[in-house]
Amino acid sequence: MDRKEVVRKFLQTLLAHKSDAQPFSDDASLFLSGRLQSVDAVALAVFLEEKFGLDFAEMGFDQERLDTVNVIASLIEESSGAAR
Amino acid sequence: MNTTDLRSDDPQSAAPAPRLFGFLRGFRIIPRIETYPWVVAFAQTIAGKATILALFGLGLYYATWLHYLHNPRWKVQICFLVVVTALPQYRRIVLVLGTICWAFGIWWQWAEHSQIAEAAISLALAALVFSLAIRFRTSWFGRRPVATLLTGFALTVLLACYLPKGGMLRTMSFDFLPVFGAYLWFLAYSLIDISSKKRDSVPLQVGAYQPIWGSSGTPFPKGSAYLRRIEAKTPEQLAVAQLKGLKLLAWSIVLDLFLNFVYMPLVHGYLGIPYYEFVFHLSLLRAPFKWYVGWESLIAEFLGKLVDFSIFGHRIIAVCRMAGFLALRNTWRPLSSPSIAEFWNRYYYYFKELLVDCFFYPAFLRYFKTWGRWRLFASTVAAAGFGNAFFHFFRDLNYIDDLGFWRALAGFQSYIFYTIVLSVGIGVSQMRQQNADKKNPGWVRARLISPLCVGGFFCLLRIFDYTYKRYPISESFRFLAHLFNLVS
Repeated sequence: MDRKEVVRKFLQTLLAHKSDAQPFSDDASLFLSGRLQSVDAVALAVFLEEKFGLDFAEMGFDQERLDTVNVIASLIEESSGAAR
Repeated sequence: MNTTDLRSDDPQSAAPAPRLFGFLRGFRIIPRIETYPWVVAFAQTIAGKATILALFGLGLYYATWLHYLHNPRWKVQICFLVVVTALPQYRRIVLVLGTICWAFGIWWQWAEHSQIAEAAISLALAALVFSLAIRFRTSWFGRRPVATLLTGFALTVLLACYLPKGGMLRTMSFDFLPVFGAYLWFLAYSLIDISSKKRDSVPLQVGAYQPIWGSSGTPFPKGSAYLRRIEAKTPEQLAVAQLKGLKLLAWSIVLDLFLNFVYMPLVHGYLGIPYYEFVFHLSLLRAPFKWYVGWESLIAEFLGKLVDFSIFGHRIIAVCRMAGFLALRNTWRPLSSPSIAEFWNRYYYYFKELLVDCFFYPAFLRYFKTWGRWRLFASTVAAAGFGNAFFHFFRDLNYIDDLGFWRALAGFQSYIFYTIVLSVGIGVSQMRQQNADKKNPGWVRARLISPLCVGGFFCLLRIFDYTYKRYPISESFRFLAHLFNLVS
């Protein structure tokens, strides 16, 4: 499964907790639109830390960089590039 | 990027409604005009824009007239909205000019010339702090700018309290600090923005400081970075934002009419339920009253405050939306919240967001990393407990000036208790949500039992929130005991 798909699956789980079964595109806003909240942002941050080794304490936390599947994928890409 | 405001939809709509009330599903007092293609198309024409602005202006005038206010703000706001609608490409610049003109114009009109100087110094100081944080990005200050700002402000207030009372330096300090304090949390948002690649310049940041649409010490709607993200990018998005703004203003007027012409006369007139303040004073004076009168007055106060607070937030966000920013509502159906955490999220959204951005995220991502399953709980207590108490203690600086720092802190005991119970409640609620059984809880539990329990929790907590700073905590506990008929 590619990164985007892994992230998408996790986001779907977070939305499902809120009884939100509406589909979303890779470019759809999830936090700025209010579909997900701050608690979901930290759940996502922990998931990205554990799954992809991101360190938000180092890189700084910006909700905008977790807002869409595409943005998260590029954040992972950037982070793994920096690690290399 | 698609940023549809889903706060106007009900995420619980998946919960099955009983057949009896099925016809009420989807019913709205104000229809969702922003979803009608022909209305959105009309709103993009010159005639449509003029109609929306005229209706909005009428609404603002009526809302002001309703409270016999002689505040000229609505006129200034309408002028701003006309300009910003005509020149959407210069929206942020017009916002800066409008905000500055309003901030200084009102002091000029009220002949408070010293306030103009203090506001100017505050903004210059904010610009300096913001620039220094960027310049020294890798220093301790640059890496923890918000923590440094808040610590610095708290220490300055503490030091000012040791200046001789009545002396010129102390008077000047406590004249200036509340003015700077009014911009404190706006500056905090600017400092959070320094890590962003597309951060706004100093003038654009200042445009979001006590913006023209109104605010309290809590930034509405967050800071400059948030405005950048939610700004309407196309004529269609602008039309949708303005239609939503118009709807929200209309809803705030409906709530205002309900509160002042139905709720208050019915509750305090026809039903004769005394005001909470009056019953609390009876308790203070040790005067007898029935336990159920305490409940009645407390519930009436709690519900009235919810409506009043909704009106306050809706007015601000309505103007913000009219200016072309797709901001979320401040208050959104708190009484249907299925959990304490959800109520906290829905009641005062922008205050919660401020605590999340300034306390919760740093605590969670930096300080409690090794706390395992208690990480979320500890971070929540840091935000809703410590952050909440910090915000409110340093908000009312005249109170600290009058009593002195330590006596003021001791007098804050009731509110500190409130923040402890609140933060523990939210923390437990969040942990329960994480571990909850994902099965559908059923309509009665989801829509009736849970919201009633949540409402009851916040209603009781209001006793400690309402009286903070004025009376010792023992009086709040005495009133609480009265509700359960434990004292006469």
